[in-house]
Amino acid sequence: MLDFIYRTGWGAFAVMLLFQIPFLLVFLTLVFRKAYVNTGPSEISDARIGGLRRGWMALVIALFLIVNLVSIQFFPAIYTARAAASGVPAIDVAVDAQSWSYDMSRQEFEVGQPVRFNARSLDTMHGFAVYHPDGQVLFTMMLVPGVGVSSLIYTFTEPGTYKIRCLEYCGLAHHEMNDEITVTEAST
Amino acid sequence: MSFASSMVASVPVFGRMFKLEGEPELEPINAWPAAMIMASFMWFSVAVLLGISLPLTQMLGFDTSLFYTAVTAHGAAMAFPYVFQLMMGVGLHRAAGCLGKPITGIIPALAFWCMNIGGILFTIAILMGLKISYAVMYPLPIVGVQTGQWSMTAVVIGFTGIAGILLTVILLYPVQVIKMLFFDRAQDDLILSPRTLNDPGMLGMAMAAFVLLIMGAPLLIVASAVLLALYGILPMAWVAWATDPMVFQFVFYIFAHNLMEAMAIMIISALYATLPLYLADGTRKLYSDRMANLALWILLVTSVTSFFHHFFTMFPALPSALSYHGNIMSWGTGIGAAVTIFTIAMTIFKHGLRPSAGIMAALMGFTLYILDGVSAIVTSNVAWSFQLHGTMWQAGHTMAVLVAMSLMWMGVLIHHYPVITGRTLSADSGKWFVTLFTVGAVGVNYSFLAAGAAGMPRRFAAWDQEGWMIYGYFILIFGLFMAVGMLIFLLDISRARIIDTGPVAAPAE
Ligand SMILES: [Cu+2]
Repeated sequence: MLDFIYRTGWGAFAVMLLFQIPFLLVFLTLVFRKAYVNTGPSEISDARIGGLRRGWMALVIALFLIVNLVSIQFFPAIYTARAAASGVPAIDVAVDAQSWSYDMSRQEFEVGQPVRFNARSLDTMHGFAVYHPDGQVLFTMMLVPGVGVSSLIYTFTEPGTYKIRCLEYCGLAHHEMNDEITVTEAST
Repeated sequence: MSFASSMVASVPVFGRMFKLEGEPELEPINAWPAAMIMASFMWFSVAVLLGISLPLTQMLGFDTSLFYTAVTAHGAAMAFPYVFQLMMGVGLHRAAGCLGKPITGIIPALAFWCMNIGGILFTIAILMGLKISYAVMYPLPIVGVQTGQWSMTAVVIGFTGIAGILLTVILLYPVQVIKMLFFDRAQDDLILSPRTLNDPGMLGMAMAAFVLLIMGAPLLIVASAVLLALYGILPMAWVAWATDPMVFQFVFYIFAHNLMEAMAIMIISALYATLPLYLADGTRKLYSDRMANLALWILLVTSVTSFFHHFFTMFPALPSALSYHGNIMSWGTGIGAAVTIFTIAMTIFKHGLRPSAGIMAALMGFTLYILDGVSAIVTSNVAWSFQLHGTMWQAGHTMAVLVAMSLMWMGVLIHHYPVITGRTLSADSGKWFVTLFTVGAVGVNYSFLAAGAAGMPRRFAAWDQEGWMIYGYFILIFGLFMAVGMLIFLLDISRARIIDTGPVAAPAE
């Protein structure tokens, strides 16, 4: 459940709706009621306004805190550090991005094997996004030329063909800048 | 008749919508704003057509370079010559009418010409082949020359145009606002509705001017250095500090992020000023000015450093501490928004609403602004950013924030229109515009966000894979709603009738 929420785009979409729908319902109802149905002023005491305001702000702050605190374990910096500390040696892969292709030192991996992608750009800004076979973005890295190597450890959990795409616009053939990696079942 | 007003009157089609036929004494606060607003809608019309062409080029399988030309031109026209210029025109008129200070002299004229000539030069460069997206993607402009994608001439012309636009946004507009707020002498006959800096409706103007000037200064310096080198005035080696891609990313996003926030602060401030004029019980006050000002201060403080969220996926080149800081500050802007929601909602609840096209446009713009704010803070969480950065989600956010602000400004413009032009809009005109435009804008926004959630890349000329084209169809359909809504608005204002009850009775605010 948490994996779906924090590690997929649709999870993000669901959380967004969770915030948006109550706002839409309450705010639009209020605006249209007060504009077209009962446009007169409403009696409300200052004490009641103060209470509502405190309740509303407390709710917003609590929700913001919960959503963000739970998200910490899914930060790439955290799962990269955790994988590095696990004792299972990570496979290092060098990724050189250049308009409009990738040069990868290795493109075949096994399930459960931590892979450290060490990526850099050799010319302009590029992206290095790894897509799950089902089309979801697993992670994307932004590669700025001249800043050295960006690294991130990812452990694949399912076999299949994973698409690589550039997600930073990089010129006329940007949409053709892609590649693939293959993940196979663990050989015990 | 001033130069600005005779220029507006002489422009075909659009001139009719904004020529000045009201009180001649108010020309000093109306002429340049009318010119800016008119020009902004000319750019918007072009930008809408380009926007519609984006899904079409994909569906009809046109050459991919056509898509990149359109996406660059569409984004560039939308952000600056349209939204910023509309805001500049309406905002300056508002400030002038509240303070009684004229908008005359060299600065407003330069602001108008630098913005529009800059926009034209950038467009020429795009037509010459420069396809760098509105975010410039530096060092792409230079790499593109080295790899033979476009010419150095196109880069020089394009950068000259960008420099003109930046000069207006970062220097000329803020300086004009600061000059009016703190220096010029007030003229009693120009005061339409006095406001001081303590008023939430004016405080935001001041905050935004300083944010633009201060947060934009580094970009202006870097861009000027690069431009001087491109002209051959400075040797390239001397500007190596400015041409470093990382330096450019930082100065660009410190500016670009805060530009959006400054524009948001300004329009929320204008909404705080306009809403009370449409309260049913005639209160003419927000339920609490203190809460309104508090929201503006929270927005100001949290937004300044939340730009780090543009760089999360550069991990570990962007230190984790700065990522976390950007994450927290971005959600902090949400706290400011929550205060704003409460202030607006409680004011409407307590005092009732007198509906009209202007205030409804502003409130629907505000609704879209909040919806967009949610999508923005979600993707400003470090974990989600790694799935969403560079997808259509981000493009949807950029579009929605600009459209939301422009809808709010159009609402404020409808309110000020009679004073600026001396003409009046029919009472229920605008209902269709507000409805169609809102439905279209919300629909386009959700289409983009869903596409992003599905992993569809932004600024990407190959939608015909992974089932992504379906989002393109939704974008096209809702985009057409927006275009029709816009057309109705433009037709409405070109048919506005001269106010026949003598001098304009109602003050601006
Ligand atoms: Cu690329």
